[in-house]
Amino acid sequence: VKVSVERIEQVTIVIAEGRLDFGAAASFQLQVEQALAAAGKAPAALIIDSTGLEYVSSAGLRVFLLAARNAQRSGLGFAVCSLRQGVREVFELSGFSRVMTVHPDRATALAQLAVPPA
Amino acid sequence: MSAPVALSSEPPKSAGLRALAATLVGGDGVYARRFDNLIMALIAVSLLSVGLETMSALPAWVKTVLRFEELVVVVMFSLEYLLRIIAADNKLAFVFSFYGFVDLLAIAPFFLTGLDTRFLRVLRILRVLRVLKLQRRVLETTVTERTRELAERNSALERAQAQLAEELNVARALQSAILPAAFPVRTGCDGTARMTPATTMGGDFYDFIELPDGRIGIVMADVSGKGVPAAFFMAVSRTSLREQAARYSDPGACLARTNEILCAQNPLDLFVTVFYGILDPVTGVLSYANGGHNPPLVARADGSIDALDGAGGLVLGVMPGVSYPAHSVQLRPDDRLVLYTDGVTEAFNPADEAYGVERLLAEIRTHRAGTTEALVERICSSVTDFAGAAPQSDDITLTALKWAPQ
Repeated sequence: VKVSVERIEQVTIVIAEGRLDFGAAASFQLQVEQALAAAGKAPAALIIDSTGLEYVSSAGLRVFLLAARNAQRSGLGFAVCSLRQGVREVFELSGFSRVMTVHPDRATALAQLAVPPA
Repeated sequence: MSAPVALSSEPPKSAGLRALAATLVGGDGVYARRFDNLIMALIAVSLLSVGLETMSALPAWVKTVLRFEELVVVVMFSLEYLLRIIAADNKLAFVFSFYGFVDLLAIAPFFLTGLDTRFLRVLRILRVLRVLKLQRRVLETTVTERTRELAERNSALERAQAQLAEELNVARALQSAILPAAFPVRTGCDGTARMTPATTMGGDFYDFIELPDGRIGIVMADVSGKGVPAAFFMAVSRTSLREQAARYSDPGACLARTNEILCAQNPLDLFVTVFYGILDPVTGVLSYANGGHNPPLVARADGSIDALDGAGGLVLGVMPGVSYPAHSVQLRPDDRLVLYTDGVTEAFNPADEAYGVERLLAEIRTHRAGTTEALVERICSSVTDFAGAAPQSDDITLTALKWAPQ
């Protein structure tokens, strides 16, 4: 899996591409944790943009779960966006789309999470 | 075939000499070490004498001793040089190697002084270069030492690795041993299950549970991740589920309670997808609940195949307080129920394509009418054929059931 990070004001966006299987899960987890650590304090937020994500195994799902928990613990907003058909099915089948916020696209996610500067 | 035999039975004569040379120079044998020590001693004596000669007023007898000593040293060094040439695999390469030159320089002054005495002093000083012979000794000792250390570490690593592999094998054997070998014997229904574990220990499991009310609990589950953590979580999940299955007649309540237990003892944040169904062998009613597992398929006698609804429940172990609604389906005689894990549909071929649901449906449609055993067998071999040489990355687990009332 290939990961890049963007930042729009207080929102850190982790862009994941490729296949997120057992072999890739550990490095993906590390990169998401680093992005979370760099995201700063509330009202910052983290979005995992999955436009380029082709496949997610159960070990990959676990990383999303850990990221959501981590974000919640530090009081950060968290959302997943732009899931492809196959990956969205995995999220729906596993019930994950009911325990974390999933947005159809980045704009919606940003609109929901971005807090306008005071 | 006779020529090579003749060759090997009559080795060239030089081979014997070369072997003898090799036992003295090089190698790690007792003779080589003694010879080496002798040369070392001679180097030390010769360096000492080079130093002595620089002193001006030496008694005549000392000069005689020194001359005799130089003769012995040169004879021995020449012998060593010759032996090294004989022992070398590539003689030219040795002669022109760094140590080949060093060995030659160590003896050359003696032979050259006979030719032209004008360079006597210069050539004698060249003997100091004999100190370079020491370097070889140091280097060789270091290399031997390092090689031995490396070999020891390697064998320690190999032992550790063999032990680990052995323990993993035991763990894998234990893991498959706790899966039921056969479907409970019941009039009117039969079932077949098979799990093909991936090379790395996976976390799939299935179970058939004989419930107190005479019904049969059917489990298909997949733990996230791989290796020892997944295997442990699998064992805990399976045991908890079995315990709760005996206590709850409602499959949803059973999953909800199991989820509470798993959430309470889940230090690694693993989770497990579980399909839990209860089949009544008298009525053919299957009541079930689904915690994040891919929905089982019912192949009907008319050739249609339905996925059981009620999918999308949360996987177990993630969040306490989740409820799992129970659903039910009436099985008809000749229907086949197929439960599977994503190791089936997500088996990849060398071209990186997934086996997919469509291929699974086609296999079920084709082989639905036979025994459940044949159906499982056909699907498994179809997956194996599809994957070809691609490594199996996940457990492949499959169960087929049939209800046939008497």
